[in-house]
Amino acid sequence: MELMGKIMMTAFVAVFVENTIFSRALGTSTLVVIARSRKNLFGFGLSVTYITALISVLTYFVDTLFISSNRYVYMPLVYVTILGFVYIITLLCMWKFTPKLFARIRKYIHISAFNCAVLGSMFLISKYCETLSDYFIHGLGIGLGFVFAVYLTAIVYDKIYSEKAPYAFRGYPLMLIYIGILSMAFWGLSGHTLNY
Amino acid sequence: MANDNSCKGIIKNALLNKNPILVSGMVIAPVVVMANNFWDAVTLIAAFSLITFFTLLISSFVPKNIVYTIRIILYTLIGALVYVPSVIMLKYLMPDEVETLGIFFPLFITSSFIISRSESIFFMETKGKMLLDIIFCIIGYDAAVLLFAAVREILAFGTIGGTIIGMPVQLSAFQNPFGGFILLGLMAALFRSILLFVKRLRQK
Repeated sequence: MELMGKIMMTAFVAVFVENTIFSRALGTSTLVVIARSRKNLFGFGLSVTYITALISVLTYFVDTLFISSNRYVYMPLVYVTILGFVYIITLLCMWKFTPKLFARIRKYIHISAFNCAVLGSMFLISKYCETLSDYFIHGLGIGLGFVFAVYLTAIVYDKIYSEKAPYAFRGYPLMLIYIGILSMAFWGLSGHTLNY
Repeated sequence: MANDNSCKGIIKNALLNKNPILVSGMVIAPVVVMANNFWDAVTLIAAFSLITFFTLLISSFVPKNIVYTIRIILYTLIGALVYVPSVIMLKYLMPDEVETLGIFFPLFITSSFIISRSESIFFMETKGKMLLDIIFCIIGYDAAVLLFAAVREILAFGTIGGTIIGMPVQLSAFQNPFGGFILLGLMAALFRSILLFVKRLRQK
């Protein structure tokens, strides 16, 4: 029961309180692109969550193997290699076993693997997690949190780009302000208070 | 009116019409989180410019006949390789400032700018034009980040480059990521208005 509670709490924190987009802005540029198409949202979300969950496990093993004082200099190269490896293996497996799904998501699978949210998740879990389960739950939570943020943005996409919005604010500027307001709400959720 | 692929058109697009941060929304994360003051912004743009320029320069030699699936891995691997000397050099020149960048320095490797611009070589007529495009995009990004950080520092801390300028009110919320998002959104809207105003003025 205690373990279940811990898992639920860690996932809740990763999705809501320390959401990659709303608390650290990781992957915002990807969000701006992906929010355009609600049609691909499910497939994209699945890809990102799968990749962050899988690489979190691999990151754990790499972190325990490579202990160096120069981690900040060399680890990005190691992480990018892992990311490339996962990307290729995933594509090959999909192409072989689920060709229809492969054809559907091949247009945006590269965006779901090579973005700041995914690489950032590797650095974050490496910094804050200790056990394999911690790594995995955080990885999963970061992926789900990212998808949640993309969904929250995608549902207002039409209004943000509507003709009714003033030209100067239409689209990108309004999207940033909207993300900022959501970010402020999640910031409050993490227990911050303003001084009066 | 300059053609989009003429040198003048490339420079105009890179600096103004398709400014990476104020118009196209690329590499937003480090700006929103880290560009809290002018000097942090200087460190940020030094890191961004170094990694982006050399990664794109080397990536331009990746042949087009390699499938995109592999090309994108090569681009990020090149970025990760360029990152190593860049971080060593910047750590030597500004050790404390680089520490403050934290995870945002290595994240430039997979920035949307590198991912999208690596392919620009295939759409440009010559390598010279591609280089011009990259250089001016980086200048456009750097200038926008410096401006953003200066405005943010004035609003949040009442200083500019650390010098107190005597603002009556300090809106400290602007130093948070949500403040960064909102301020960047407002600046993007203002920038668009200015571009529109200039365009209309020219038409008259």
